[in-house]
Amino acid sequence: MVSAKVKKYSLFLFGMFVFLQVSAQDSIQVLWEKANAYYTTEEYQKAVSAYEQILNSGQESAKLYFNLGNACYKAGDINNAILNYERAKLLAPQDEDIEFNLRLANQFVVTEIEALPQPFFVRWRNRIINLYPADAWAGISIGAFIFFLGLLGLFIFSRSSSLKRISFWFGILAVVISGFTFSFAGRQKEKINQRKHAIVFCPRITVKSAPAQNSTDLFLLYEGVKVEISDSVNTWKEIRLSDGNVGWLPDSCIVRI
Amino acid sequence: MIKLPLTYILVFLALVTLRAEQTKFTMSAPGAVEMGQQFRLTFTINERGSNLQLPPGLTGNFDVLMGPSTGQSTSIRTINGQTTTEVTYSYTYILRAKSEGEFEIRPGTIEVDGKVIESNSLKIRIVPAQSQPQTQQQTPRGGEQSTQSVDLGGDNLFLRVEMSKQNVFRGEQIIATVKLYADPNIPISGFDEVNLPTYEGFYTQDIEIPNQINFSREVYNDRIYQVGVLKKTVLFPQQNGTLTINPFSMTLLVQQRVRPRSFFDDFFSGIQTVRATVTSSPVRINVNDLPPQPANFYGGVGNFNINSELSSEDVTTNDAVTLKLTINGTGNLRLIRNPELKLPSDFEVYDPRSTENVRATDNGVSGTKTVEYLFQPRFEGDYTIPSIPFAFFNPATGTYVTRSTPEYTLHVTKGTGDESATVMSSRRREDIQLLGQDIRFIRQGSPMLRMKGTTFYGTPLFYSIYGGSTLLFLALVLIYRKKARENANAALMRNKKANRVATRRLKAAAGFMKKNENEAFHDSILKAFWGYLSDKLGIPVAHLNRESALEGLRKRNVNEELINDFVEITEQCEFAQYAPSGGSEARSELYKKAVSTMSRLEKQIKR
Repeated sequence: MVSAKVKKYSLFLFGMFVFLQVSAQDSIQVLWEKANAYYTTEEYQKAVSAYEQILNSGQESAKLYFNLGNACYKAGDINNAILNYERAKLLAPQDEDIEFNLRLANQFVVTEIEALPQPFFVRWRNRIINLYPADAWAGISIGAFIFFLGLLGLFIFSRSSSLKRISFWFGILAVVISGFTFSFAGRQKEKINQRKHAIVFCPRITVKSAPAQNSTDLFLLYEGVKVEISDSVNTWKEIRLSDGNVGWLPDSCIVRI
Repeated sequence: MIKLPLTYILVFLALVTLRAEQTKFTMSAPGAVEMGQQFRLTFTINERGSNLQLPPGLTGNFDVLMGPSTGQSTSIRTINGQTTTEVTYSYTYILRAKSEGEFEIRPGTIEVDGKVIESNSLKIRIVPAQSQPQTQQQTPRGGEQSTQSVDLGGDNLFLRVEMSKQNVFRGEQIIATVKLYADPNIPISGFDEVNLPTYEGFYTQDIEIPNQINFSREVYNDRIYQVGVLKKTVLFPQQNGTLTINPFSMTLLVQQRVRPRSFFDDFFSGIQTVRATVTSSPVRINVNDLPPQPANFYGGVGNFNINSELSSEDVTTNDAVTLKLTINGTGNLRLIRNPELKLPSDFEVYDPRSTENVRATDNGVSGTKTVEYLFQPRFEGDYTIPSIPFAFFNPATGTYVTRSTPEYTLHVTKGTGDESATVMSSRRREDIQLLGQDIRFIRQGSPMLRMKGTTFYGTPLFYSIYGGSTLLFLALVLIYRKKARENANAALMRNKKANRVATRRLKAAAGFMKKNENEAFHDSILKAFWGYLSDKLGIPVAHLNRESALEGLRKRNVNEELINDFVEITEQCEFAQYAPSGGSEARSELYKKAVSTMSRLEKQIKR
């Protein structure tokens, strides 16, 4: 009798748990649709708060950041638009729409930075790495590895010498590809986790030569600029611009991507 | 139909003649007079009149000292052979005011041909008498007076910019009048240097005034001055805040009588021309910003009306169509930007042309601004030419007013002719025209959410796929290897045993030979060979026949002679099984041959 009651009770608990889980998922779906509807009816401020509510649930996706960026852009908040487009780009580095909207948003940024030219191999490598997000690279790596194992098997057991030769070379190629894509996936993951870049949010900020208020003024930055964080002391961050300039900023002025 | 213009002309002529015959009866007097001073009140009429009546109530405020003294002047003009005669009669009274203040002189009347005609009315200001020169003039002291000269500075001679308003909206018009104030006793003989003010922060337009400067009497700060208007300008402030018109100066030539020091001085130079420089004081104007501007505000401040006209509503493709927009009214017409006309995007649109016809008068700037929008429809169809909303700021009410032109429907039919066809075809090949730029639209569908910072890469599952697949692979290899080894062992065993089995079978054949068992003998020889080849060549007995056996042998480079021997033996055996022939000699020969072939096969296959 008692055990039956416990069973019933635990069943009820389990049901509740499942229900809550499902309803949470449901409410997010509802929120998402509501936010999109707000955007379509041009109530951008409401759309922004709805998208942010979804984000507050601890979940993210490139689509979500993209839509939030769009809503911010339309609401006139260019800084947040850039921030969210950059976040979306981290998760979907090759998405053309994100790239396009980010370029439009960047037209509002006052500071124009001419990026230092990088050596061609660095450029190529970055381009290749940015072809896919971390998980896609991980999948490719696994696929290549399994393919390699198959070729290895063929190499070991094949009687025909030409088949052996082919499987040998392709096997080596597959294992090299697997290794490289593994490292690419690692890099993409690192980018997402480290979040080394940030967007300047202060309308106008003087970059200092040292992490102290009375140090020399180096240069001026205006809002919306993307910087790379290279070091940190207390509430100060050392930032590096893509044109190679380095200086210190109070971290209240920047928001990590 | 012809009658109408005829009557019009007649009426017009009558009006003209009436006008010419109209009697003009005017009354004139100075606008400002000092207390105690005499002045003239003059009535002028261009016809002989009688029974002149002074304005009622005149004697209550003024003493009539003298009059009327009548005068008559005749002017005869001949223009283009036409002679006109004008006679003017004047009646002059000399008056003196009884008290200070502002008085209105009501119209006087006169009778002309039995009709009573009224003159205009006047306003006169009587100011207190105070100035030294005035009293001097009133009580002349002969030669002494002429030796006195009037001080040229301060209150006696100065410049002033008079503003019609001090507190305005940006773009609202102000009339600035530059005036020279001079004591009536200062004889100004000319101007030497005139630096008129520069109105910084204003858009200006001059009002035309006669070149000759006419001095009139005016009261300022309770004193009478002779005032000359130097310049009149309409100003449109272009900045917010307090605008200052900087002081400016001019040099006048004034005749001064010089006190004679000696008899000769007086004799030679009684009057000297002196240069007097006068400077104005700065004037400040407070300019208020306009309230938040509506979308269709093109900078117009004032009061305007608009209307529009479309050259044609039915056109063929590639016809030029003009929409004419006229803005008329008073205000900053010249500063109004061309209102925007939103035409269908596939029209060929030319830059609008605007012309202004603006007049500046004492009432400000007024006139018309005409904007012509020229465009060509390229494709047939019905188009809507939208209305043009035009908002302007009315400073009198302090609000924006929007006026709109009507909407037009343009009906375009396809034009004929090759020219239009070629234009159209070239038009079609054009690239996509970018009409505007905007961000791309949001994504719909599932948001595909995931917990923040989680990736498949780096999870235990990810690594275990590598490990798992490797282990699986190794296991598969091991199993396969083991099985292959087992198979290989079995084949080797059989290979090794093949010779022994064959020798045993041959021995058995030898036994059958001795016993003369013909069938068993051949059978065991065949078995010995087939079994041997099956084991040696690794071909299962079931698959073994002559062709596969020969193929196997040739693959192992067994020479052709030996193969022939083998074929011969097997053929002989098979043949002898069914058709026993020969005796024991043939059998023993076959046996010998079989043994030697077997031993040679063993050697060659091993090699």
